[in-house]
Amino acid sequence: MSGANPGLGYDATPPFSAPLRFFLTAPLFGIAAGLLLIVDGGLLASRWTPGTLALVHLLAVGFLLQIMLGALIQILPVVAGITLTAPLRTARLTHIGLNLGAIGLTAGFQFGRPSLLLGGATFLGLGVTGFLCSAALAAIRAPKTRMASHTPRDLRLALGGLTVALLLGLSLVLELGLGRGAPLPLAVAVNLHATWALLDWAGLLLAATSWVVVPMFQITPAYPARLTRYWAPTVTVLLAAWSVALVANVTTLAATMSVCLIGAATGFAVITLRQQARSRRSTPDASFRAFRLAMLALAAGAALLAFPHPSDADHWPVLAGILILHGGFGGATSAMLYKIVPFLAWLHLTQAGIKAPNVKKLLPDVRARTQLRVHAAALATLLAAGLAPPLGPVAGIMLIVEFVFLQLNLVHVVRKWRAHLPRAGLSVTPA
Amino acid sequence: MSAPILVDARGLEPPAPFEMALEAVADLGAGGSILLLLDRMPHPLFRILERDGYAYTPQIRADGAVEVLIERR
Repeated sequence: MSGANPGLGYDATPPFSAPLRFFLTAPLFGIAAGLLLIVDGGLLASRWTPGTLALVHLLAVGFLLQIMLGALIQILPVVAGITLTAPLRTARLTHIGLNLGAIGLTAGFQFGRPSLLLGGATFLGLGVTGFLCSAALAAIRAPKTRMASHTPRDLRLALGGLTVALLLGLSLVLELGLGRGAPLPLAVAVNLHATWALLDWAGLLLAATSWVVVPMFQITPAYPARLTRYWAPTVTVLLAAWSVALVANVTTLAATMSVCLIGAATGFAVITLRQQARSRRSTPDASFRAFRLAMLALAAGAALLAFPHPSDADHWPVLAGILILHGGFGGATSAMLYKIVPFLAWLHLTQAGIKAPNVKKLLPDVRARTQLRVHAAALATLLAAGLAPPLGPVAGIMLIVEFVFLQLNLVHVVRKWRAHLPRAGLSVTPA
Repeated sequence: MSAPILVDARGLEPPAPFEMALEAVADLGAGGSILLLLDRMPHPLFRILERDGYAYTPQIRADGAVEVLIERR
């Protein structure tokens, strides 16, 4: 028999080069973030300095968004039955828009140039909108089949979160560049944008992916059914209620919703840690340990936001941002990359009828382990710099080492993959 | 017809179950069959089985494990 895979589109698996271009470009933005910390050493003194905004967007857009969109091009057809009609063209256009956008946006923040900010936002907006439209069209055309997991629904919710975060971000750039943004106090607009981007986009995407990837690669039991069923819709509803309360200045409701959202984020991290503790894996590998560190960082970052601080010093939100952005999402993303990229290289070789080497040969665990130790050291140094901003250049050096190492590891996999391709098929970007 | 060869690939990290299945298929003699036990539906494997001329019948057991019976077409 055949056709036993209802709604799943492996026949339409996009070429490896479609996600790969995102994965190979992303570490360059991490390196740029390190350079920025060296050049502008004291920028971690506050979340509001232009340098901090540039740094955050280098990591959030240049690194995280880049990898997340690249991964989605691969994941959507496989787990959600959403097959982009032209995955390679979508990948090319999104990649160009996102990279020009990330460069323009960060340069605009760093140098205080509204024209760069507006230009960057335009490219980023076009790139992400193109991706969203392509995904939405594919979702409408996708066969309506019942899926066993909630991942497809949660991926759709995450894409909705990305849309809201993008619109809020564009409004902020219009306000900063032309004074024509949404009629909201700047701090409110920034908090809305950051929370939708981190929680309803990145958070939902991380959770939706974890429902599948954590049991599969970390050999854990499945997540509790009630968690996977209700977590993402609950977060979206709470976030919408929090946003309305914030805009309407209903402070009690906003504070209550805020505590609920922090609880939901912490709950996801804690349950993931519990799942990992129940893994049947005899020896945790590098990716497993990195994912555990990422969950601890997410929970710690959420705790920093939740509890009253002993002072009103500027460093508390900076520390929370470092823990969530670099420690949580950055760590989880790197951990997943180390599973996904060698697996995809292996899968594409095998599906092409080529005898593929073992994934451990495509990327030896020792390489990933060493890089992820540098990631942990970079996180510690960043936190130290959050408390003592003059340490910024040291943290910058650590970030550069971390991302250069990541880049080298990814290139190692690609070289191994290419070495096994027949000579006529050496092109990384098949037409 | 002989009983299917049992390949229990549950509890293993990808792509080990995939590799075990491909090795078993490569060793499959004429008229033989394989009963593959897995933690989840092996969608990437189906494409390769179709390409290489094998028939497969997957089903989900009550305990959540997936059984795939593989036979030469």
